[in-house]
Amino acid sequence: MKKYNIIQLLIVAVLLMPSMLMAQDVDKNNLVLTLKYFNDNNKSHHLLVQAKSKIDGKFQQIADMPVRFYIGLEPMVENLLGKGVTNDKGEALLVIPPQAQAEWLKSPIQNFIVLSDGNAKFEEGRGDLTITKAKLKIDTVEGKIITASIIALIDTVWTPVASVDFVVGVKRLGGLLNVNETQTYTSDSTGMISAEYKRDSLPGDQKGNLVLVASVIDNELYGNLTTEIEVPWGSKSVYTTNFDHRTLFARRGHSPIWLEMLAYTIVLAVWSVIIYLVFQINKIKKLGIE
Amino acid sequence: MEKIAENKIIEDLMPQQFGKKGMIWVISLLVVCVFGFYAYCRQLYYGLEVTALRDYVSWGIYISNFVFFVAISLVGSLITAVLRLTNVHWSTPLTRIAEIIAVSAIAFASLIIIVDMGRPDRFYNLFIHGRLQSPIIWDVIVISTYLVISLLLLYFPLLPDLKIMIQYKERNGKWLQKLYVFLGSFWKDKPAQFKITTKAIHILSITIIPVAFAIHTVTSWLFATTYRPGWDSTNFGAYFISGAFLVGAGSVLIAMYIFRTQYKLEKYITSEHFNKMGKVVVLLALIYLYFNINEFLVPAFKMKKSEEEHLMGLFTGEFSYIFWFAISASMFLPILILVFKKGRTPKWAFVAGILVVVGSWFKRYLIVTPTLLHPFLPMHDVPKNYMHYFPSWEEWAIAGGSLAGALLVITFFARIFPIIPIHETITETDTHEKV
Repeated sequence: MKKYNIIQLLIVAVLLMPSMLMAQDVDKNNLVLTLKYFNDNNKSHHLLVQAKSKIDGKFQQIADMPVRFYIGLEPMVENLLGKGVTNDKGEALLVIPPQAQAEWLKSPIQNFIVLSDGNAKFEEGRGDLTITKAKLKIDTVEGKIITASIIALIDTVWTPVASVDFVVGVKRLGGLLNVNETQTYTSDSTGMISAEYKRDSLPGDQKGNLVLVASVIDNELYGNLTTEIEVPWGSKSVYTTNFDHRTLFARRGHSPIWLEMLAYTIVLAVWSVIIYLVFQINKIKKLGIE
Repeated sequence: MEKIAENKIIEDLMPQQFGKKGMIWVISLLVVCVFGFYAYCRQLYYGLEVTALRDYVSWGIYISNFVFFVAISLVGSLITAVLRLTNVHWSTPLTRIAEIIAVSAIAFASLIIIVDMGRPDRFYNLFIHGRLQSPIIWDVIVISTYLVISLLLLYFPLLPDLKIMIQYKERNGKWLQKLYVFLGSFWKDKPAQFKITTKAIHILSITIIPVAFAIHTVTSWLFATTYRPGWDSTNFGAYFISGAFLVGAGSVLIAMYIFRTQYKLEKYITSEHFNKMGKVVVLLALIYLYFNINEFLVPAFKMKKSEEEHLMGLFTGEFSYIFWFAISASMFLPILILVFKKGRTPKWAFVAGILVVVGSWFKRYLIVTPTLLHPFLPMHDVPKNYMHYFPSWEEWAIAGGSLAGALLVITFFARIFPIIPIHETITETDTHEKV
């Protein structure tokens, strides 16, 4: 009887095994949503969310995750800024629309919320962000000195802010090149920093213009702020192309003259011989008919 | 020369009807050709998907076959031009054999390129959009030129023979007689005609040598102008030409033996011809061996990382069996057989010729395919079958069909025209007797 019970238990255990395993499979992973604020040139504002989850002990970016962005303290329908889906890097971006202006103007401190309902593999997630509204300015003074300053909206007054870290650089191929050996600058009590431009002969555009950029990156209070200015401090770049030149690598019809001459001469020489010989056959024919 | 002796030569060398063996041979070749054509129709209908050609190995046995045909065609210039210009008279009975091998090989080289294209209806794009800077365009130009020159070199010495054959109207039959009349009824054995013909052959012999060198060099440049392990070599032009001379000479040995035994031409293609051709093959095999040593030993000594995988694949890896077979069969064994006088008998020379030709075919395969399987960047995220290449049955059938087609052209030519020049043989025998 006891043996019979053990067999019964084993059968039940085997039958339950798949569902137990399945139960493990449906365990969802936590979804971490990190929200960031960006202000470019004090004009356009956008939000960026990064979706991550800890899988096998490592944080991994989660793609194809639908997210919703809200402005304000509560994720209500009237506060909805827009929706997005995370890309391969686990990021989704939303430009704050003009319709949010009324909500934006209500307070010097702004809250944003991002929500995701999750999916079969991931739990729902939420990310919150609070920023203090701030502006960056950039200018230059004689002697190739760059000045930048930050002001923040405190109560209703734009006030200079001290002890904020800046990065100052020249825009190069999507990245920033430092203007001298200093990596970062910290604003003084007037909210200002200054940096000497020490780069020589950087190629600029056709007029020699370079774009100088001052940025505050991932600041806890102000988010990501960037401003830029165009200065004629570079060397003039003249765009040259070999596209229409005659080279060995050019497109059809643009082979080097020497190659054309050589090739056509050889072909003509050999085919002249062939044509001559064909005429000789004709000559032999005539001789035979005579 | 006595008329009886002359008639005996004509009788011996006139084209003969197929016997039982001949019919079996022709039918077998036709069956292979038809099967190849069926496979090609499938390729046309379904596309290159029916082949094993994929993203990495885009040149498989079609291009190996192309290089092989181009190589074998060089024999025309070797036997006809080089030996003729150097006043080597013993090669006279072999000139036409060499020329027809050259013509059929170069014709099928052109065809197999079109087969490899997959979409032959787009062939005209090569002429409309072709770049003069590309070796592919040079190859098109030089192949067509070589084909025309080879045809002329086949035709001019045939003219006096056509006159002889036209005289045997009853023996020829209606269609052959019409063909002979169309091709050579105007030949009247006039001294002026001979003068023009001799001059034309001389001009052709001079012209064909640079063109033949060009065709093989340009074909080698199809590979050598790309930056790939195994192909990135300055040795390639000379390496291809020496290999082409060897395989061409090997094919002549085979053809000599078959025509000698099947057409009872022992009096014209003598043991001495095998002896001399055997020596030529030994010389050519040694030259080719020298270029092979340059081609493999120097990169192997340096063993650059990019070349290492390719070279080790050939020496000890995936392709090592084919590699050592090709090296042994196309060079070492023929040298071993033919270097001794006893090996230069017709039978052994025939065996050596077969080894050269078969080994050379596999050598061409090794030139084309292993390089494509060893790109500089590792093969990632591709199906497993992309990483190896073994031709599909359609590819084998088409390649086999093309080889059978080339043999058919030679067979039918030997059925229609004298495979040994009759008039030249009579003249040379006459001169010999007078001397």
